[in-house]
Amino acid sequence: MQFGGVVAVDNLSLHVEQGEIVALIGPNGAGKTTAFNCITGVYKPTNGQVYYQDQLIVSNHPQGKMKALYAGQNKDAYKQVLEPTPDRITKLGLARTFQNIRLFKTQTAFENVLIATHLHRTSNLLTATLRLNHAEEKRMRQHALDMLEVVGLADLKDELATSLPYGMQRRLEIARALATKPRLLLLDEPAAGMNPQETDDLGRFIVDIKQRFDLTVFLIEHHMDLVMDISDRIYVIDFGRLIATGRPDEVQDNPDVITAYLGVDEE
Amino acid sequence: MKKAKIVLSLLLIIAAVALVGYTLSSQGDLHDLVMRLDPQNLAAADSRMQKARDRVLDGLPEGDRTKDLRNLDRYLEGYGPQLELDGENGLELFVYRNGPSLLAAGIALAVIGAALLITQLKALAKYRKPAVYLALAALLYAGVYIVENIAGASSMLMTVLKKGAIYALIAVSMNLLNGFTGLFSLGQAGFMLVGAYTYAIFTIASDSRIQVYQYYDGGLVQFALPTLVAIVLAGLVAAFFAYLIGLPVLRLKSDYLAIATLGFAEIIRAIFQYDGLGPITNGSNLLRKFTTFDTALFPFAVAGACIALIVLLIHSTYGRSFKAIRDDEVAAEAMGINLFRHKQMSFVISSFFAGVGGALLAMYQTTVQASAFKASMTYEILLIVVIGGMGSITGSILASFLFVASSEWWLRFLDNELVIGGVQIPLLRSGFRMVVFSVVIMVMVLFYRRGIMGDKEFNFSSLFKPRVKKGGGVRG
Ligand SMILES: Nc1ncnc2c1ncn2[C@@H]1O[C@H](COP(=O)(O)OP(=O)(O)OP(=O)(O)O)[C@@H](O)[C@H]1O
Ligand SMILES: [Mg+2]
Repeated sequence: MQFGGVVAVDNLSLHVEQGEIVALIGPNGAGKTTAFNCITGVYKPTNGQVYYQDQLIVSNHPQGKMKALYAGQNKDAYKQVLEPTPDRITKLGLARTFQNIRLFKTQTAFENVLIATHLHRTSNLLTATLRLNHAEEKRMRQHALDMLEVVGLADLKDELATSLPYGMQRRLEIARALATKPRLLLLDEPAAGMNPQETDDLGRFIVDIKQRFDLTVFLIEHHMDLVMDISDRIYVIDFGRLIATGRPDEVQDNPDVITAYLGVDEE
Repeated sequence: MKKAKIVLSLLLIIAAVALVGYTLSSQGDLHDLVMRLDPQNLAAADSRMQKARDRVLDGLPEGDRTKDLRNLDRYLEGYGPQLELDGENGLELFVYRNGPSLLAAGIALAVIGAALLITQLKALAKYRKPAVYLALAALLYAGVYIVENIAGASSMLMTVLKKGAIYALIAVSMNLLNGFTGLFSLGQAGFMLVGAYTYAIFTIASDSRIQVYQYYDGGLVQFALPTLVAIVLAGLVAAFFAYLIGLPVLRLKSDYLAIATLGFAEIIRAIFQYDGLGPITNGSNLLRKFTTFDTALFPFAVAGACIALIVLLIHSTYGRSFKAIRDDEVAAEAMGINLFRHKQMSFVISSFFAGVGGALLAMYQTTVQASAFKASMTYEILLIVVIGGMGSITGSILASFLFVASSEWWLRFLDNELVIGGVQIPLLRSGFRMVVFSVVIMVMVLFYRRGIMGDKEFNFSSLFKPRVKKGGGVRG
């Protein structure tokens, strides 16, 4: 993925197995969020592909000005162009949260989650307007309540989303993502701004929902304790490039990772 | 218990309204009758009745008066029962004995019902059953009916109510798009024009067409559709134009919609005046002699039904998605909402109702001319939406009536020169009204930026609850 002269994600290949918790870590500006955005259709990659359950869902090759930049490189590898909008990706079963919390500001916690049930509607404009979808509406509301219950916000359902404390807003985002009934949950720094106690709780919570909803979790996180605790595997990137991958203990001792994080070269 | 009381009070009020309405309407018929009787029989008639009679009789040419008197027998037949009962003076007896007593009974019932209802308002606010809304709507229509009968169909009050209702629909349709979906469109006048013309073209009576289309040999269309069908068609044609505009424009992330719709409104106005389309649009000439309404109940019924539909839509799962798009497009998309499809829906529906509003406006004005649908009309509607509060339906409705009342009625005096004690009051002259109006609006926009209602809705419970700030609850 390239923005003008900046190659934010460079030759990166990630693989997540069903039922895993996989972490993507790296220093600030390493390209983690950009990688998420490519997977979820927010950005179309300059050159690259995304597969989900053996199905090609995103694919692009260098076009326009980028063509010259990639001349002679692997641009022929990706002939096909598949640029689904993010809603299509969500419908496939990939749900995400945002690093810079993006809740619907004028709406309550409950309404925020309720919106996420819209994609599984069977009603059309007419039946919904004329309230012929009573049963479905009831199901949607119940599902939204259930998801709030899961993240422990049921009591605060009528609070304005943005009036909630930071940690709760992050949980609300998770509830909203869960309400879309995903198979793969992408969490972008879910513990950002949380204190150690909250971070601990969040770790247990993620493992819990993973089992409960039979999810696969792919998360970006800076809290190393959390990452080491719950991840099955870890990818470490720096300047958009993969520098290490493996089990938490393997990654922890990798000299490249330590260098990248400390930001100094000892030699 | 509470429920029983509410139902009882509503029944009482409906009964009262029925009684009052019946009395007024039978008085209306009897009015005709009485006015055709010999004045001597009316010796004891009340002054209001007599005045009304004189007014009508004065207005009638001599010949008509006798012609009407000749029909007297036929009229009297219709009131056989009362006349048989009460003999020759039956008419007066009915008006005097039954009329006032029925009216009094009706008013008494209404007072009792209203008193009962007021004690239960709190419960009513929570009680959101369709029946309650229908009852309230029935009350509103009954109220309009009674006011119209008392004030007279052509009074200033009724003029304001009629136009206010129509503007309310158009403002609400604009609010659906601007306030609830966060899309900024400036094409309202264009869609109204399309609606107004569609309606007018298809309801001019066949035998009037040769007069209306005098320069175009009676025009191309040679049939007339039923009123309601034509109104729906007006909405559909406007919606179709919106669909076409939306196809390219709504896919763009940035706000090209405002420019595109503004351009559309300007172009469509020119096209409808184009001579080559004369056989259909009558070129730059007026369209007239199409079906209109003479009671305010009609615009109230149509606008009311349309607004009810819009409100239902807004509270449906689709309406919730519109609000999500308004709040945060990226998040809405991540929740699986197809931005283009939903924006398209909102835009097309909004334009549909703007078209219906245009049709109603045509009926209200009784004539249609493309040159009247200028951008300033869109700005009027936009102002109403802003004054009422973006994202507040009740705000838009309230602001519509206030706006129409001030511009057509309350501020009229500013346009008339006034001389007190030989001194001419400065500034008061034709056009000054608009100056004051603009100042009021500027003050409004500067100091009440969120409008009368903000994005809140007016409801009964808010009258009773101490205002709790939604965001006040939790702090981390
Ligand atoms: N829309 C964009 N336009 C231009 N440059 C961008 C854009 N989005 C990201 N970048 C650049 O891409 C690089 C990677 O950004 P990204 O947000 O992916 O980092 P990150 O790993 O998520 O960092 P952090 O830990 O701070 O969240 C940065 O240099 C950033 O400036
Ligand atoms: Mg990031």
